[in-house]
Amino acid sequence: MSNSVISVISRFLEEYASSTPNKLKVIDAYLLYIMMTGALQFLYCLLVGTFPFNSFLSGFISCVGSFILAVCLRIQINPQNKGEFLSISPERAFADFQFAHTVLHLVVINFIG
Amino acid sequence: MYPFEGLFSLLVLSMVLKTQALTPTHHLTTTDVARLQAVLSQPFTDLKSAYYSVVGLSKLGILVADADETCQFIKSNLDPSSVESLFYAAEASQALSGCEIPVSNDTRDLLLATVSEDSTASQIHQSVSALSSLGLPLASQEVVSALKARISKEDNVLTIILALQTASRLSQQAELGDILEEIEDLAARLDDLSGVYLQFEEGLEATALFVSAAYALSDHVDMEPPLKEDQVIQLVNSIFSKKSWDSLSEAFSVASAAESLSNNRFHVPVIVSAQGPAAISHSQPFLRLQVTDVLCQPLSSASVLVESASTSTSKSAILSQAPFTLREEVFELNFMASQPASGYYQFSVAIAGDSRFVANHVELKVKVSTRVAINNMDLSVVDKDQSIGPKTTRVEYPTKAKASFMADSHQNFAMTFQLVDETTGVELTPHQTFVRLHNQKTGQEVVFVAEPDSKNLYKFELDTTERKTEFDSISGTYALYLMMGDATLENPILWNVADVVLKFLDEETPSTIQAKTLYTPKPEIQHLFREPEKKPPTVVSNAFTALVLSPFLLLLILWFKLGANISNFTLSPCTILFHIGHAAMLGLMYVYWTHLNMFQTMKYLAIIGSLTFLAGNRMLAQKAVKRYTISWTISITWPLSVVWAPPKCIL
Repeated sequence: MSNSVISVISRFLEEYASSTPNKLKVIDAYLLYIMMTGALQFLYCLLVGTFPFNSFLSGFISCVGSFILAVCLRIQINPQNKGEFLSISPERAFADFQFAHTVLHLVVINFIG
Repeated sequence: MYPFEGLFSLLVLSMVLKTQALTPTHHLTTTDVARLQAVLSQPFTDLKSAYYSVVGLSKLGILVADADETCQFIKSNLDPSSVESLFYAAEASQALSGCEIPVSNDTRDLLLATVSEDSTASQIHQSVSALSSLGLPLASQEVVSALKARISKEDNVLTIILALQTASRLSQQAELGDILEEIEDLAARLDDLSGVYLQFEEGLEATALFVSAAYALSDHVDMEPPLKEDQVIQLVNSIFSKKSWDSLSEAFSVASAAESLSNNRFHVPVIVSAQGPAAISHSQPFLRLQVTDVLCQPLSSASVLVESASTSTSKSAILSQAPFTLREEVFELNFMASQPASGYYQFSVAIAGDSRFVANHVELKVKVSTRVAINNMDLSVVDKDQSIGPKTTRVEYPTKAKASFMADSHQNFAMTFQLVDETTGVELTPHQTFVRLHNQKTGQEVVFVAEPDSKNLYKFELDTTERKTEFDSISGTYALYLMMGDATLENPILWNVADVVLKFLDEETPSTIQAKTLYTPKPEIQHLFREPEKKPPTVVSNAFTALVLSPFLLLLILWFKLGANISNFTLSPCTILFHIGHAAMLGLMYVYWTHLNMFQTMKYLAIIGSLTFLAGNRMLAQKAVKRYTISWTISITWPLSVVWAPPKCIL
């Protein structure tokens, strides 16, 4: 059982490393960064306490929101999905990504106290 | 027929009974009359005030002090061309003795000419009065017709009052019947205020002038005015309820009303008042009543009679038909001679002697007070199980018992006494009989009520165990007082009867000695602000800050490994502007966090954001074009390169 899991994971990693374009890998690295930041914030909240609860929430939601927007960007940029996003060029996806981030950060900074 | 008559007689009876009940509630006292006189005696400044003063004082029966000076004043201020001036002068000089106003033919003609339909009622009144006072002839019938025409034109109250006054100066042969009827019409216009007052809405002066005019005319024609007794009393209440007068004319009107009500031929209201409080005792056995008219002049011709005197509770009459005797203008009756018991009595008094008297049945409440004596005051200490007989000590008022009494939990302290009327020996039950125990050391006092039993013997028992709570279980010597009082007692009593030593079980510590601290200031409440929440130690916070920032390092490392670079960075202006704008937006976020509020941020964001958007749009468009041309070039050149390749390859 564990054997097959390990073999599946290693094959997945091989495929990933070879067939994913560089641009997507850059975005994936960014996604990993965001996820770790969010996880560490959550860990702090669990361990130490929720004292400035609004700050915790705004930080966590910033991570979650950024993650989602980056995933959206990745989907729209992916050349394999070109058929589904005919009207949205990669530049347009990036511009949307920028604008959404502006709004998200406005709300986050407002809530962070 | 018979039921109708019965109903009618019942109505008359009820009306008669009603009229018997009303007596004046407001009247002038001697001080009020003196005040009225003082107002009218003020030095006068012009002819009008001279008229009010002189004539007003004459109505009160007082002569002006310096008649000659006044006469000179009148003569010098007279304006023979004015009807009003002539009126004031004529009336004032009539009131003074030996004052003659010289009259010329012109004056007479002027006055006679004023008597016509075209003059106002006041002008007619003034000219007729002047003519009559100066002794000049006048044509009464002309006056009557002028007055009637005036009344039909102006129907207000003052006009009719002036018409009545004028008619009283005319000859008795004239036809005054129509004008006489106006009295009744005018009386119907009076406002009845809660059955006590009757007055015109025009005010006090109009009401007073109406009264004097109505009685003047009624006396003149010798016909009783159509005013019921109740109405007369209500008019008295209205006119004499005001005890200080705003103007000279108001004072004058009150004086003339008072004079007409005390001197006319038909109705004389009688004012009955007790001299001092209506209270009788052995030291003061006479009930004194003052019977006067409205001007506080005593009615010596009256005979005063007590129709019945009874206590408030029982209806049996103690006195019946007992006359008062007149002594120095005061009617008095020796009520104590009938030996009444102390209490309140209802007197029904009738004043006879003149058929003109109005409100001559009066109800009075008279108090009879007495002195109380305490008999058979016995103090004893009784054992609870009654094994040992009680020791009784008799104490005489106002001495104090020599020995003090001891009472502890096995004994009761008892007190009995009797209260009697000093003179008659009748037993009394005053309203307040209290027994007060006063602890001299602590200042504490406890009060109990002594109750009489069926034989009117007062008893008081003190059970130390039962009454522990009232005393707060504080043992000690208590001074015993007997307190007695009543409205009908002349000698209220506070008597220190004895000293009682009380012993209580379970004596509490004397911490409760101080007076109950109900009214001392309470301890101050300090406001506690909300405690700030506990923060984790700085070490932990710093460690986690570093931890949370560490994935950024990881990101940089990964990007470096992946070969992410900025080699495609074109240095066109819009690119630079876009990046600057973007950096500015991030900077704005930081400034928003530290300094600004949402509105300011939105403002700046709008500016920076639109710049960034335009620049970014341009930049991305350029990038898109570049990418597209590259991809187009590749897509075109590649097939071409295949087509245009040297044939060698195909071979």
